[in-house]
Amino acid sequence: MYDVIIIGAGISGATIARELSRYDLKTIILDKEYDVATEATMANSAIIHSGHDPLPGTLKAKFNILGNRMYKQMSTELDIPFMECGGMVLATNKEEHILIEELYARGIENGLQSHELQMLNREDILLLEPNLSDHVISGLNLPTTAVTFPWEAAIANIENAMDNGVELALENKVVKIEKNDYFTVTTNKDVYKGRIVINATGIFGSDVANLISKATFETKARRGEYYVLDKDVRVANRVLYPAPSEKGKGVIITPQYHGNTLLGPTSEFVDFEDVSKTTASGLEYIKTNSQKLVKNIPFHKIVRSFAGGRATSSNGDFIIEESDVKGFINVCGIESPGLTAAPAIAVYVVGEIVGNILKLIKKEDFSPLRKPVVRTFELSNDELNELFKEDKRYSKMICRCEKVTEGEIVDSINRNCGARSIVGVKNRSRAGSGRCQGGFCQSEVINILARELNIDKQQVVYSKTGSEILIGKTKGEK
Amino acid sequence: MKMYDVIIIGGGSAGLAAALEINKFRKSKILLLERDAELGGILLQCIHNGFGLKVFKEELTGPEYAERFIDELHEKGIEYKLNSMVIKLHPDKRVEYANIEEGFVTIQAKAVILTMGCYERSAGAIGLPGNRPSGVMTAGAAQKYLNIDGYLVGKNVFILGSGDIGLIMARRMILEGANVLGVAEILPFSGGLKRNIVQCLDDYDIPLYLSHTVTEIKGESKISSVVISKVKDFVPIPGTEIEFEVDALLLSVGLIPENGLSEACGIDMDSRTKGPIVNESYQTNIDGIFACGNVLHVHDLVDFVTEESRRAGQAVVKYLENQLEKSDNHIEMISKDGVSYIVPQQVNVNNINDKLELFLRVQKEYRDVNLVVRSNDTIIKTIRKKHMAPAEMEQIKLKVEDFDSVIGSISISVEERQ
Repeated sequence: MYDVIIIGAGISGATIARELSRYDLKTIILDKEYDVATEATMANSAIIHSGHDPLPGTLKAKFNILGNRMYKQMSTELDIPFMECGGMVLATNKEEHILIEELYARGIENGLQSHELQMLNREDILLLEPNLSDHVISGLNLPTTAVTFPWEAAIANIENAMDNGVELALENKVVKIEKNDYFTVTTNKDVYKGRIVINATGIFGSDVANLISKATFETKARRGEYYVLDKDVRVANRVLYPAPSEKGKGVIITPQYHGNTLLGPTSEFVDFEDVSKTTASGLEYIKTNSQKLVKNIPFHKIVRSFAGGRATSSNGDFIIEESDVKGFINVCGIESPGLTAAPAIAVYVVGEIVGNILKLIKKEDFSPLRKPVVRTFELSNDELNELFKEDKRYSKMICRCEKVTEGEIVDSINRNCGARSIVGVKNRSRAGSGRCQGGFCQSEVINILARELNIDKQQVVYSKTGSEILIGKTKGEK
Repeated sequence: MKMYDVIIIGGGSAGLAAALEINKFRKSKILLLERDAELGGILLQCIHNGFGLKVFKEELTGPEYAERFIDELHEKGIEYKLNSMVIKLHPDKRVEYANIEEGFVTIQAKAVILTMGCYERSAGAIGLPGNRPSGVMTAGAAQKYLNIDGYLVGKNVFILGSGDIGLIMARRMILEGANVLGVAEILPFSGGLKRNIVQCLDDYDIPLYLSHTVTEIKGESKISSVVISKVKDFVPIPGTEIEFEVDALLLSVGLIPENGLSEACGIDMDSRTKGPIVNESYQTNIDGIFACGNVLHVHDLVDFVTEESRRAGQAVVKYLENQLEKSDNHIEMISKDGVSYIVPQQVNVNNINDKLELFLRVQKEYRDVNLVVRSNDTIIKTIRKKHMAPAEMEQIKLKVEDFDSVIGSISISVEERQ
């Protein structure tokens, strides 16, 4: 019997799991996918928003402001990339200028301090962003905007939760939820019993909620497509937002922690099965719109395009509440600014909702720290040679483009919540995310995965069951 | 810090030829750094024949071609390090590398030659529409799995792009018992050599869909089918879709010189070749740093890489002997009508021995035209061409005398015959 069953291993489920692991509770996370953080957490802008955008009085506004103020500490404890680069909303005409003045007022109403947002004119912005397009006339400066690495944030939270006793069961798709004295959660693989169920299933939020009682809301998938530019070009120094429209925050230019630049997203309601499909028209839209904010974008430096679904709820706000079934907690519709809000949502869910149902007793042996991750590109040669003395694999380069060593890849496999697939290795260590997209290193990653997981090379999967790369041996090979 | 006369980054065909050429003319302390476990570069996975017709006057496989150079390297006792990845190149010619024996090491050279080769444009880079299942990979990656590791990546295969590696892989997959359902090329002409179209597609009845591209990739965990459409001006035409059930899509959509190190070092790049801007001596804008082979511009025949790298090697010898004249007063090579690029991009006539060899590519397919070399309005040379295509690199030789009347720049253009 579990105290808490969390369904969904995205950023919401991950931060809630870690928060729960501070207390003397038996917790398990279930996810239908082969790895954690595969949907909205995998495909978003990676931005820790300042809190200037959500409508005052909403849960989005409340948890955005709180979450933003928690990120630095969480990132330090869990060794998650965190880049305090700031952000700016740009206006390209008078109407947009009026809009960003409204955003200024909204930010103040949401609780931002006056040093946390300023209106700037074109000349001031040019000093900060020399690549600015000729169309921009003014901007709203947001110095507390930051950039993280979203799936690593989720992975790190789950890893730390597991270090503190939480269990993780992947490839478990929930098909039935029943309640008597306790909940019985049936998956395609197993049956789990628990006192509390937390539904953190992103775009499938209302589907899962409906398994136990008719949900008061509906979640829909809003697809966002993105382009990634190579890391040797920097088109912007901070997050650059266009003035918002009814379609959301628009095509944003986001410098990434590892030096890449993200362009996107689009915004379009689609069927669930289409959320990760990129389209020619969507990608064209990004190209056109990103150039309204900055000039000289080197589109020939694109290394990847991708798409993902954001969970939009029918009431337009986050849904964070116990349902009419006692002990069944919905954490749904966590679209932007959900990544920012996640740690604050977790504290609220555990402290204010779970805490009202179960007694929370702090664990004495809880460790908030995750074992630091080696990132070769961050270290000096002297530091690297210290590592080399301990483990020679930290000087064996596997990924040429991103400079990832065998040591880093092995570590990414052998941690709690470790990589089990080629994409899993890529998401944790960055091997294969550079300009050649694994063209050179993928076969070596397969070798390492096979060795570390003690399986045959032909069993190594790309992303999930059934996605093996090597389908047979060549003639004459035994 | 260890000192070398020359550090060569990359032990493929370019690095090997440059090392041997320097050694032939000057006793030098040379170090060849190779990131793979063996010398030879991409030649090692090119087990088909057709290499060496120009250099050795016989037809060799890729590994055989490489072996000749590797054997000679051993014979001459030229120092090399395997599994050694260069992390950083400094403008003062310090080179940082890492390997499992020594850790992270910094060494100093008088001259550096960049011979890192190229990489394949990926699915991500071309923004293929649809899902991202497994089974979509570059032709070169599939070639490595097949020819080096001994594994098949698909039984029903489609190929996007008609670059040479894609064509070679079409034949290779057939020989391994796979079905190759077709090759789609977005341009109205092939991106590969004529001989590869004939020997790899025509001989095996593999259809080539010109002016077609992939408009959707289907499949959840593994690719299940690929949809292609006819294009007009690169835009897919609705209603022309053809769907193929496949378990692998190989991409042969272009090669890009591997210049991460060069760009980080501050070397000026040519946006057309995606390689460094070099002069007649294959020297970049940074004194003592040279480049040759596919890192400079993508070649279609390894024989050309070898010849170019030998010339670069000779120039490095002159550099080490202080015989290269330093001058900002150079002639600019300008690509005019129909010419997409020229290498080298700059020429100092005083450093040319007797002739200068230029490489260029044209923008589209041409028949019965002239390649015209001009300085201002004076025609220096006219070369009759029966056929030219972007896939086939053109070579022009200019004699020292040809430069007598040149002031400032030389242009090359494709012109109709009068």
